[in-house]
Amino acid sequence: MNQVPDSRSNGQAEILSAQDLRKTYGNRVALKGLTFSLKAGRVLGFLGPNGAGKTTSIRILTTILRPSSGHFVVDGVSSEHPVAIRRRIGVLPEGLGFPKQMTGTGYLTYFAQLYGRPAAEARQIASRLLEDVGLQNRADSAIGSYSHGMRQRLGIARALVNDPAVVFLDEPTLGLDPRGQRELLSLVQGIARGRNKGVVLCSHLLSEIEGICDDVVIMNAGEVVAKGSVAEVTGQSHANLDHLVRIRVPATSIAMTRELLEGLPGVEHAVLTDERAGWLGVKLAGSLDGSGPDGHHVRNTLLDALIRADVPILGFDIGGGRLQDVFLQLTAESIQ
Amino acid sequence: MWWLIFKQEFVEMWAGGRVLNYLALYGVLMSITAYLLATNNQLNLLPLKQTVVVAVTSTITFGLFIGLVMGAESISGERERATLEPLLLTPSGHRQIVVGKFLAAMSPWPAAMIVSVPYVATLSQGDRVLWLALFWGAVMGTLSAIAFVGFGMLVSIWSDSSRTSLFVCLLVYAGLLIPAQLPTEFLNSRSGVLVSAIDPVQSSSRLLTKVLAEGRSLGEVWIYLVAPAVVTALIMGLLFAYSAPRLRLAATEE
Repeated sequence: MNQVPDSRSNGQAEILSAQDLRKTYGNRVALKGLTFSLKAGRVLGFLGPNGAGKTTSIRILTTILRPSSGHFVVDGVSSEHPVAIRRRIGVLPEGLGFPKQMTGTGYLTYFAQLYGRPAAEARQIASRLLEDVGLQNRADSAIGSYSHGMRQRLGIARALVNDPAVVFLDEPTLGLDPRGQRELLSLVQGIARGRNKGVVLCSHLLSEIEGICDDVVIMNAGEVVAKGSVAEVTGQSHANLDHLVRIRVPATSIAMTRELLEGLPGVEHAVLTDERAGWLGVKLAGSLDGSGPDGHHVRNTLLDALIRADVPILGFDIGGGRLQDVFLQLTAESIQ
Repeated sequence: MWWLIFKQEFVEMWAGGRVLNYLALYGVLMSITAYLLATNNQLNLLPLKQTVVVAVTSTITFGLFIGLVMGAESISGERERATLEPLLLTPSGHRQIVVGKFLAAMSPWPAAMIVSVPYVATLSQGDRVLWLALFWGAVMGTLSAIAFVGFGMLVSIWSDSSRTSLFVCLLVYAGLLIPAQLPTEFLNSRSGVLVSAIDPVQSSSRLLTKVLAEGRSLGEVWIYLVAPAVVTALIMGLLFAYSAPRLRLAATEE
């Protein structure tokens, strides 16, 4: 059985660390020096547009790919020992396939045995995990009859079959409806907090990720453009954001609202940032950054003007507080 | 680990119906072949022992096809179904994965041999050649099955799609059958003997003919064992020593 290293003795132990990981394919650099760390009991979000290097990073950290240079450590085990690392990690790859004829119980039992558990113990583990992910009523049904959400939950169960120290989830909510996404993310949070595991989560769902991630690494074109706790990342980029106040109005009121706002003192300009949802970004003039007493005054003036003009205010947000803003700001060059 | 993988693959192949479908087709082909051979024999167009040789050769030819297809789909099929990555993520060594799948892909061959027994027995009409035919058929067929399944897996490891691996395998298979279509005069010539010696399929066929139809001893025909043995050893080396440790999620990845 695996030795539990001393560094796992408390919930704040560093469970995963990467140092300057790089990956090149001929002349193409897919990953340009990934360095980060993750503590047990926390969820790390890997964010980035398509082609940013997220999946390449995950595949290197899960030993599917070899890095061109750099190294990483999982639960005290160096990347030079990939088999030992695979014993300590659980992975839900993106777009995972399942054998349609196998049952959920059979599938998890098989993988538990591949991780060295005797058959009887493997069946118990399978039964327990199916209950943990809410599939106990479909345990003996063929996987071919599962819905997409059920398969994702089965995939998470398989990722937990060896009681890993770190769990990697690559786009786990892809293809799920909003309810399914919420349930699955709740499950992910439970894995980290309830089981004191490190979770690395790759996703495009920024608003949901913001709710469950403790730490974040934002990647763009193979490089890390921001990393740290969610609060640190959104706070650091606060001063760089163009739109420090966001206001949401009905589509029919957008034009009028924009004209009204740009006529107000203290407002430099107002631009439409999300036409579908009706969000307007408002940049304040001069040294005003929307915070502090002057900022308060300008914001109150904005709101007052809108109320007096009888504009329905559907949302109001102080810019710089959302991960989505940071993400769009930092990855803007690759989004055309 | 390889045992677990073999068991799982075996169940999937047999319970899923894939192998049974191929064996059913195999049974139909053997039935047609046996009927034609029996008719020829009754018309004194073909001597009894030669009839038995053709039946055994057909058993091997058709049986190898099943193994080749199973091998060709073994890894590239998993890639297409996105079920290979979870296997690669387990602590199982890559060689163990290949061993387990190889043994599972070999499993149709013994079944094909068993299916062929009544056909060969009927065609031998009680002649002692039956036991010799079953023995040498099993020996040469197993040697060839190992080579063909191994070759199929070798191509599969280095192919990203089953379509590619099947195409390559079937092309090679067809190529190895071509010498059998060449005129007898050529096959008996010096060039023809050389081709027979290096082509493992043709080599097996010549050995069976000489042992079963002409009554030659092993000492006289050992040369025809060389090609199948060498090719099998080469393929096994390439498969387990070279390719298996290099098994990757994508065939073209580093």
